[in-house]
Amino acid sequence: MERQLRFNKKTGDRLFWLLLILPALIIITTFILIPIADSVRMSFTEYKMKNILRGTPATWNHFENYAKLLRNKQFLPTIGRTFGFVVGVVLAQFLLGMIFALILNSNVRGARLIRSVMMMPWVVPTVISALIWLWIFQSQYGLFKYLVSVFSLGAVNDFGILNDTSWALVGIGIAALWKQIPLTTLLLLAGLQNVPDDMIEAATIDGAGYFTRLFKIVMPYMRSVIQVVLTMAIIENFKQFPLIWTMTGGGPSNSTTTLAIMSYREAFVSQNLGSGAAVTTIWMLLMIVVVWVFRKLMKRQEID
Amino acid sequence: MNTKSAARWAKAGKYLLLFLILLFLLFPLYWMLITSFKTNLESYMYPPTFWPKDFTTQSYISLFTENNQFFVYYKNNFIVSALVAAITLIISFMAGYALSRLHVKFNPVLVALLTASQMFPVVSRLISLYSILRTVKLINTVPGLVLAVTASQIPFCTMLMSSFFDGIPVSIEDAANVDGAGRFRTMFSIAFPLVKGGALAVGIYSFLMAWDDFLHAAILIQSDELRTLSVGISARYLGELSYDWSLVNTISIIGILPMLLLFFFFQKYMVKGLVAGAVKG
Repeated sequence: MERQLRFNKKTGDRLFWLLLILPALIIITTFILIPIADSVRMSFTEYKMKNILRGTPATWNHFENYAKLLRNKQFLPTIGRTFGFVVGVVLAQFLLGMIFALILNSNVRGARLIRSVMMMPWVVPTVISALIWLWIFQSQYGLFKYLVSVFSLGAVNDFGILNDTSWALVGIGIAALWKQIPLTTLLLLAGLQNVPDDMIEAATIDGAGYFTRLFKIVMPYMRSVIQVVLTMAIIENFKQFPLIWTMTGGGPSNSTTTLAIMSYREAFVSQNLGSGAAVTTIWMLLMIVVVWVFRKLMKRQEID
Repeated sequence: MNTKSAARWAKAGKYLLLFLILLFLLFPLYWMLITSFKTNLESYMYPPTFWPKDFTTQSYISLFTENNQFFVYYKNNFIVSALVAAITLIISFMAGYALSRLHVKFNPVLVALLTASQMFPVVSRLISLYSILRTVKLINTVPGLVLAVTASQIPFCTMLMSSFFDGIPVSIEDAANVDGAGRFRTMFSIAFPLVKGGALAVGIYSFLMAWDDFLHAAILIQSDELRTLSVGISARYLGELSYDWSLVNTISIIGILPMLLLFFFFQKYMVKGLVAGAVKG
């Protein structure tokens, strides 16, 4: 009798579970998983916007989309640029966020107020933060041009950072940092506050200096927060689109074209969905590899 | 003496760094604010002025009277974001509860699925969704856009929700079960009040993220009267070669305002929620 009851509870739990996750499962399957699988399939076909308009089906084209990418002289530089952007922004973001969090955690006056005011850039919609920086970087009347001219003591008077092929991506990186540093700082600060004081005190008595304490005790203790922060930053910057699209559209002469920009252009500007899908498929694979390698590295640190 | 002056230098360095970082984060907002109060002529002055010479609300007036297509985008953005937040909240509340409270063998698979779903590029989904939604006649409609944006919010919000449930003791619900409360009643009237703060954080978070959406709306919406804020701004006010920068900055101010109010008003929950979600993973 009791056994019967227990079995019933278990079946009931399972049914209840299924009922609860069903809406989430349905929406994720129809709006994420199926579209992803479908776009991978498309990447092996000849499929253009006119196929949709005329209702003609996609046709297998013997890896032509991929072959075309490999022949495209812009493709490898685009991958390199994407990686450069991700590595540069993520490292700067972590470094500045960590410094900021350490300062806020060190009995600074007004830390509570600063902590709430500093979050403002994070709340600004991406397109609007692109506008703000577009205006600051404006090549004729912009504030940045003026500041460069003042601080270089008049040596550089005509610096339009977004018009310069070797600097434009840096300009976008600055805007990305502006928007992302607040959340990074907030999370790192929470991690710092979790480090028990007595551990740090013990190290101080042992005579460990500030940086020894930071690298040997505080940072290892925060490892899980650091991992989350870095993973989020890697994914976000790998996927960055609206900021680049609004600020430069990928130019000047492709110097800010990342994989996100390239796939969008192929699929929706050149209206070649199959070839756009090939770019996103490679992009996806690269991202999975990067996140996987990163997790492996963090794991190895754990063992050390 | 020597260590004392070193400590003083360290302290000065610390405050200098703090000042520089805050300047970097806050000055652009100040710059946007004062540009919106300049005449367009003054905003094109070089070297730039750090305080408006002729303080004017001309751009605000022009935004409210002539360029008021903006408010159509604004209204659409509110509708879409509110719907996304409401649906996301309900779905992720249910799924998060299931993940945290019901120990089913399939749970780790579900977590893996949610984690992976966060990584896929939006462009990749949209390439296919564009034709799928066309076939089911959901292209260029509010429901189509809302569902697509909601889907992108569900993975993170579900995991956030489940970490909130993990944070409250299960014993209270067990007691309710013993008293004979059904599963639904336990979930809604016992568990829900305990995670209200977390639910609020999830709701506001998904509202903020939906408000920020650009790509979904850029592809899935074609008619101007259905456009949302981000796409509307970049299509209408950035298209021309000669920008009216006072107007653009005014638009930015008005576009940010509701988000800032929302954030400052619910800050306590937001900060706690985001931290809880990230620290737990």
